[in-house]
Amino acid sequence: MLRFIIRRVVIIIPMLFIIVSLTWGLIRLAPGNFYTGEKKLTPAVEQNLREKYGLNKPWYVQYGRVLRNIARFDFGTSLKYEGQSVNQILWRALPVSAALGLTAYLLALLIGITTGTLAALRQNSWIDYASMALAMIGISIPNFVLGPLLVLLFSLTLFWFPPALWNGFASKSLVLPALTLSAIYIAYIARLTRSGMLEVMRSDYIRTARAKGLSERAVVFRHALRGGLLPVVSFSGPALAFLITGTVVVEKVFSLPGLGNYFINACFNRDEPLIIGIVAFIAVAVLVFNLLVDISYGFIDPRIRYT
Amino acid sequence: MDHRKQNRISVGHSSQLAIAAFVLALSLISAGCNALAKNSVFFGKTDPPRDNVLRYVSGSEPESLDPQISDGQPEARIYMALFEGLVEYDPKTTTPIPALAERWEINNDSSEFTFHLRRNGRFSNGDPITARDFVYTIRRGMSPKLASRNAGLAYYIKYAKAYNAGELFVLDPVSQSFLLEKDFEEGRDQPAKLPLSSQPVGSVTAEYPPVPEDKTPDANTPFHQFMHSPARVVLPADEKKRNAILDANPKLKAAVAGKQLVAVTAEDIGVEAVDDYTLRISLAQPAPFFLSLMPHQFFRVIHQKTVEKFGAAWTDARNIVTSGPFTLEAWRHYDRVVVKRDPMYWDAANVHLDAIVFYAVVDNTTMMNLYKAGEIDAMLNHAVPAAWLDMIAPMKDYMDAPEATIEYWQFNCKRPPTNDVRVRKALNMGLDKKALGAWRHAKPLTAITPEGMFPGYPQPKGDPFDPEKAKSLLAEAGYRDGAGKFDPKKFPVDQIEIGINPDGNNIPTAEFIQAQWKQNLGVTIPIKIMEQKTFLAARSNLEYKGIARNGWGADYMDPFTFLGLYYTPTGNNGTGWWDPKYAALLDEANSTGDRQKRLELMAKAEALALEVQPVMPLFTTSARWMKKPYVKGMYPNPASLFPWKWVYIERDQAKWDYGVPKMTE
Repeated sequence: MLRFIIRRVVIIIPMLFIIVSLTWGLIRLAPGNFYTGEKKLTPAVEQNLREKYGLNKPWYVQYGRVLRNIARFDFGTSLKYEGQSVNQILWRALPVSAALGLTAYLLALLIGITTGTLAALRQNSWIDYASMALAMIGISIPNFVLGPLLVLLFSLTLFWFPPALWNGFASKSLVLPALTLSAIYIAYIARLTRSGMLEVMRSDYIRTARAKGLSERAVVFRHALRGGLLPVVSFSGPALAFLITGTVVVEKVFSLPGLGNYFINACFNRDEPLIIGIVAFIAVAVLVFNLLVDISYGFIDPRIRYT
Repeated sequence: MDHRKQNRISVGHSSQLAIAAFVLALSLISAGCNALAKNSVFFGKTDPPRDNVLRYVSGSEPESLDPQISDGQPEARIYMALFEGLVEYDPKTTTPIPALAERWEINNDSSEFTFHLRRNGRFSNGDPITARDFVYTIRRGMSPKLASRNAGLAYYIKYAKAYNAGELFVLDPVSQSFLLEKDFEEGRDQPAKLPLSSQPVGSVTAEYPPVPEDKTPDANTPFHQFMHSPARVVLPADEKKRNAILDANPKLKAAVAGKQLVAVTAEDIGVEAVDDYTLRISLAQPAPFFLSLMPHQFFRVIHQKTVEKFGAAWTDARNIVTSGPFTLEAWRHYDRVVVKRDPMYWDAANVHLDAIVFYAVVDNTTMMNLYKAGEIDAMLNHAVPAAWLDMIAPMKDYMDAPEATIEYWQFNCKRPPTNDVRVRKALNMGLDKKALGAWRHAKPLTAITPEGMFPGYPQPKGDPFDPEKAKSLLAEAGYRDGAGKFDPKKFPVDQIEIGINPDGNNIPTAEFIQAQWKQNLGVTIPIKIMEQKTFLAARSNLEYKGIARNGWGADYMDPFTFLGLYYTPTGNNGTGWWDPKYAALLDEANSTGDRQKRLELMAKAEALALEVQPVMPLFTTSARWMKKPYVKGMYPNPASLFPWKWVYIERDQAKWDYGVPKMTE
């Protein structure tokens, strides 16, 4: 187990190196610069800016600086936002994305697993059909459509929730974005739970459990769920990583100060240090969450052993 | 200024997703609104906020709260709350009115400006604001190390450009004198007429118009004499560039040999604190519009000690010292900037609002939603999407007024087919601008300057809509059949495209014009949509095929801010067209002391440019924003810039604004 974890952790380093190098190369290929604007700068001003941000140095010096920054996990200062360090921005934006993502994640798990299990236990009943139909709709409606629909209903017609803006973690402004964000995950998890449960319920060890004379409750909660939720677990790790590291569309629709919003703007602004910082951060998060999922497999499914 | 464009003509960046979302939300919401708004003259809620606070959407997240860093308009509005300059924009006309300067004198050819500061100006920490603070501010703005993108605005100031570009004077170590420009000007028939600011002090009788008071603008100081002496030679610091110049001028090269090269310093640029409350600015050439530049954020005064103590962190809420009617309360990034009334401000008694919240929102639909739900009281200009206008325009809280901003398409005059003036003229004549204007709710435009914006300016007219003439021009240009008639099939549509960035209303506008050309001329020119920065790079490097969209907002209220685009072949010209005659007319205009003659000369230059049609003007933009009826003192002025101290919340419904507030009151 320990060797497995160490191996996986060590692998993160070359992965990160490749991801960051690719990102850096792509940014350099993109036309325009952080100071490219509608108004053309005078040559002297452009020269001054290039000097100030070290863009006059040869490419290997600039690349070396990027790698050095990554090694220390200090990504330098933003080009667009004068005097703000990328780390500062990351730590400021992460809590917003995390609060939004976690709320959506919990909603998705709670509602998704419940409906999925119910549907599986009452296969081919109206509960099954209704919840799977809803799930189908949930998967099909993209969140940039769902968001405005929710806004139309709850903000502009009923005036219950604000249509946008961020008023803190425990505020009404979290409701609509979290709902919008979780819809597709609720649907996914419900469907995964249902199929996982259906498969497990037919397996031998459930039959054994039933033969032992266990109650239906014990069969479902102690035995079936553990196996039936495996697909959900493997899905939920990366899902959590994506949810809390910023969701571009929802943050943009609701104008929230999260990582996703920063990221998309950093790309448009050609803000190299910020792009690289966010990419590196998200890459590490996804790699770590995947590792955690693999580890948790071992605990959930007794059939899996790591060597 | 470009910044206008980025956030005016095209609000924010949008991905394909966002566009799809926008279209969908639009149809849904406009359907909902139509149902709700039937009986209402206003859009959405009209309950005034509980507190005396204005909630305003200012557009994208500010880059910085340092007024000398950002050239954006969203930032400009925040800076206007936090910092004050020598003069301020008039809330209705945006012409300069006294602010920290009580009065000023301008010499007879507008090459020197003397400002008299009020004695009670104070920073938010209580320090008095003196002429020295303005000297510091301008010097810092020009510093190459700061690398301000706005520095170009101050290049009119003597030696400011040389300092900003890190250039060098040439000093003779023996005689301790500097080489002078006038000794090395070759190829000129006669010595250039020097601006008054460069002629020896006292050599001109009555350099300034008579002053009723005892102040003598000519107050003599060694620095003033330095300013008024002939211009020194400046050379680039870069050796390659310097040698290129020296090789082209053997006389200069011989003179420079063995001399000392001395860097131009901050102390050399033409700003001087004559005394604590007198600031004198000497320009390198006459610039009658210079005063209109002074309210710009770049010239708003900042606090030296704070900047020097904290470096880039001086704008943090816990460090910042401000000079405007409001001071910073909090900056929650990517969310809001909150400013509160500053009790130290010299005119604090006349500041009405307790605070202003500037929300960083870029999505137009989101802004409209927030406005309708009553979460905000007003929004930035160009916020109402074009497709909503039929529904919104009749409402009494819709702010519509022409701005000193134009939208136009520019032609690549360097490559075929648009290098042919007949093709450019034909395309311009083949577009029905009245129809375009009606659809965009904007005033159609045939000229380079916005219409009716500059009093007394005899603006020339461009060609009218005339498809028949257009076709015959195209036939003349060689796209004709055997009978000599225009043949659309001959037009090389594979060599020309309409280059646009996908923001705001650019796509529907391009489609509109494309359809017009198809209908009127029979040619279908493809549209090429490019990502913002890719597009800008292609446009400024003249790498676009045929046509690129553009827009320009006035930096100051003078036709020159538009005509100056084609003053040089480089910079913001972007068309490849340049005519020395055009530049000469503008030079002549700016050096004449007579206001009306100057305007006529500029009109002559504009007519000259319209003859060759390097651009196709589309329309003068309209302000296109909304404010709740209880927000008073905010006028849809030509620059959409609002001096905040005049804004207040009116709780008495009888006094609310129904429609655009009267600008003549």
